[in-house]
Amino acid sequence: MSNKEDILKRYRANVREKYDMPDLSDIKAITYPNPLVQFAKMSEMVGGQVIEVDQGRDVNVLIRELFPDAKEIASNLPEITIATRNPDTVGRARDLNGTDVGIIRGAFGVAENACIWIPQTMKEKAVCFISENLVILLPKSQIVNNMHEAYKRIQFDKTYDGYGTFISGPSKTADIAQVLVMGAQAARSATILLLPE
Amino acid sequence: MSTGHSKAAKEFLKNQNYAKWHDATFWSVRSKRDNMAYGLDEWEQLREKASAIKRHTITHLDEYLDQFATNAEKNGCIVHWAKDANEFNEIVYGILKNHNVKKIVKSKSMLTEECEMNPYLEAHGIEVVETDLGERIIQLKGQKPSHIVMPAIHLNHDDVGELFEEKLGSEKGNHDPTYLTYVARLSLRNEFLTADAGMTGGNFGIAETGDIVVCTNEGNADMSTSCPKLHIAAIGLEKIIPNYDCLAVFQRMLCRAGTGQPTTTYTSHFRKARPTAHPMHIVLVDNGRSEWIGNPEHWEALKCIRCGSCMNTCPVYRRSGGYSYSYFIPGPIGINLGMLRDTQQHSGNVSACTLCLSCQTVCPVKVNLGDQIYQWRQQLDDFGTANPQKKMMCRGMSMVYGNQGVYNLGTALAHWANIIPSPLMNCGLNPWAEGHKMMTFPPKPFHKLIKEIEK
Repeated sequence: MSNKEDILKRYRANVREKYDMPDLSDIKAITYPNPLVQFAKMSEMVGGQVIEVDQGRDVNVLIRELFPDAKEIASNLPEITIATRNPDTVGRARDLNGTDVGIIRGAFGVAENACIWIPQTMKEKAVCFISENLVILLPKSQIVNNMHEAYKRIQFDKTYDGYGTFISGPSKTADIAQVLVMGAQAARSATILLLPE
Repeated sequence: MSTGHSKAAKEFLKNQNYAKWHDATFWSVRSKRDNMAYGLDEWEQLREKASAIKRHTITHLDEYLDQFATNAEKNGCIVHWAKDANEFNEIVYGILKNHNVKKIVKSKSMLTEECEMNPYLEAHGIEVVETDLGERIIQLKGQKPSHIVMPAIHLNHDDVGELFEEKLGSEKGNHDPTYLTYVARLSLRNEFLTADAGMTGGNFGIAETGDIVVCTNEGNADMSTSCPKLHIAAIGLEKIIPNYDCLAVFQRMLCRAGTGQPTTTYTSHFRKARPTAHPMHIVLVDNGRSEWIGNPEHWEALKCIRCGSCMNTCPVYRRSGGYSYSYFIPGPIGINLGMLRDTQQHSGNVSACTLCLSCQTVCPVKVNLGDQIYQWRQQLDDFGTANPQKKMMCRGMSMVYGNQGVYNLGTALAHWANIIPSPLMNCGLNPWAEGHKMMTFPPKPFHKLIKEIEK
C-alpha cells in the first residue's frame, strides 16, 4: 500500500462525526465609505509610503526624485525607462542582488490591511524581495474593501502562473527584544504610487 | 508535589526583572490583538465561521487532501506523503540528495521542529540555515524556540548583541536592535544567494487550487524560494482548507489574533516552481494526525492555525516562559498537542493552567483549549501519571468532606495548628507552604458561628 493510501485509510477509520461546511455568504465584512483613503491610511500604518501621481506626471521622473542616489534600478515594465536591470533577462535570480530600487505593478489593493496583490509577471520574482526599496505602481481605482472581496478577484498571470503574493508595506521584524525594525530580509521600504485612471 | 513545569518555571522566575518584562510584553501583544478584534464588528462572526470551516475540513480531510494533491500534481508539483517524522526526514533528505544539495535556506516551520529535521539533515552533511531572524538567532545560539511566533523572545538585545559579536562579527558593544537586524540581513543575504535549495512550511494548503500559502513579515519565505533552484514545502495534513473563500476568513484572523497586526507583510501563494527552477516538492505529513482525529475529546486541537494567541494571553505562559513546558510547542495549545503526542512524557504540563479559559476566549478558531486541559487532568490516573502526593491529598479530602463527624472534629481542632511554630509549618515537608503563607485557622469554624447567630 502506498503511503497516501495508508494515511487516508487510517484517517477514514478514525474520523468520527462529520460536520457540514458553513455558509460563508452571510459574513458581514467591513466596508469603508472611501476605500482609497482607508487603503492609504493602512499603508502608512504598516510602514509604507503612498504618493498620488497626478495626471500626466512621468513616474520615471518621480522615482528619480524619490531615490536620487539609486544606481541600480530593476524593472520589466514598459513604461519604466530608467531601469538598469530587467528581471526577465538577467542570467540568474541572484544577479538582481544589489538592486537599489525595484519597480513592479500591483493588480489591486485591499483597504482593510493595505495588502496589494502582486501576481508574478516577471521571469525572476526575486525583484519583488531582493531590492532595497520597492516601488509598486497601483491604479487608484483598483481598491477593494476586504480580503473576502480580494480572494474573489485574485488571478495569476498567464505566462508566469506559479506564484502570486499580497504585499503590505516593507519587510519587518520585531524578533530582537520586540523592537520593530523595518527591513528584515526583503525590501527595506515600500512606496506605492497611486496612478490616475 | 511540583510538576516538571513548575520546577522549570522556578528557574525562569529567578530573574524577576526579566520575568516581569516577559509578562508585560505578551500582555501588550494580547492588547494589540484586542484592538484588532474590537476594530471589526464581524470578529466574533469570523471566529464562528473559522471554527465551523475547520470542523468541516478536518472531518472531511481525506477528500480535501486528495483534491489538494491532485491539483498540486496538475500544477507540476511532486507530492510526497510522510507517515511519521522519520519518513518525513528521509523524504526531504532524498530530494536534497537527488539534487546534490549542500546547503538549504529555510523559513520558519513548526513542522520541521516537530520532526527534528534540522539535526537529521545536518547529520547527513547538509548545512541548514534558518532565515527567520528569531529562528536564526536561536539556531546560532544552539537553542529551541520558546514561542511559536516569537521564537527568540527569551533573549534580550544584549544576549543577541553578544551572540552576533561572536558568530557574525558585529561591532563590539553595539546592541541596538536596528543595527543587529541589519547585520543579520547582510549575513542572511549571502546565504540566500549561495543556497542550493529553499524550504518553507505552509500556513495553508488550498485544495481547490493546489496553492501552498505562506505568511511572513520578514519576506524570508519569498527570499528562500527566489534564488535557489529547488523549493520544498512541508505541511501538516490539517493545514489543508477547501478554497479561497475559506482562506479569506483565516488570512484576516491569523495575524490579527497572533501579533495584533492587520496582516502579515507577505501572504504568498506558491503554486509551482519558478520558470528557471526544478519542479516544486510538497511533503504532506501525518505524524499522528490521522490518529488524533479519532480522539473524542481532543480532536478539535487539529483546528489550530498556530497563531500563538493562546500563549500570549495565558497567565501561566506569560509568567513561566516557553522553556518551562516539556513539549516543543508551549502554552495551552502545546499542552494539548503534547498530550496527544505522548501522555507519559508530557503530563507534567497539564498543571500549567489556572482554568481561566482566556485561551479559548481569544482562540480565532475556537479550540476549546482549557476544557481539553481539564479533561486531560481527569485521565492522569489512567495514564499512571497522577502525582501520588496529590492523589493522597484527594483521598484524604474526600474522607474528611464525605464524613460529617470527621469534618466537624477536624474544623473544631484546626485552630490548634496555629500554635505549631512557624519554622515547622513553613518547612519543605509542607507543600502548601511553598509560595503560600500558611493561613491562620479561626478559633470557631464557620458553621458553629452561624449556628450561634441563628439561635
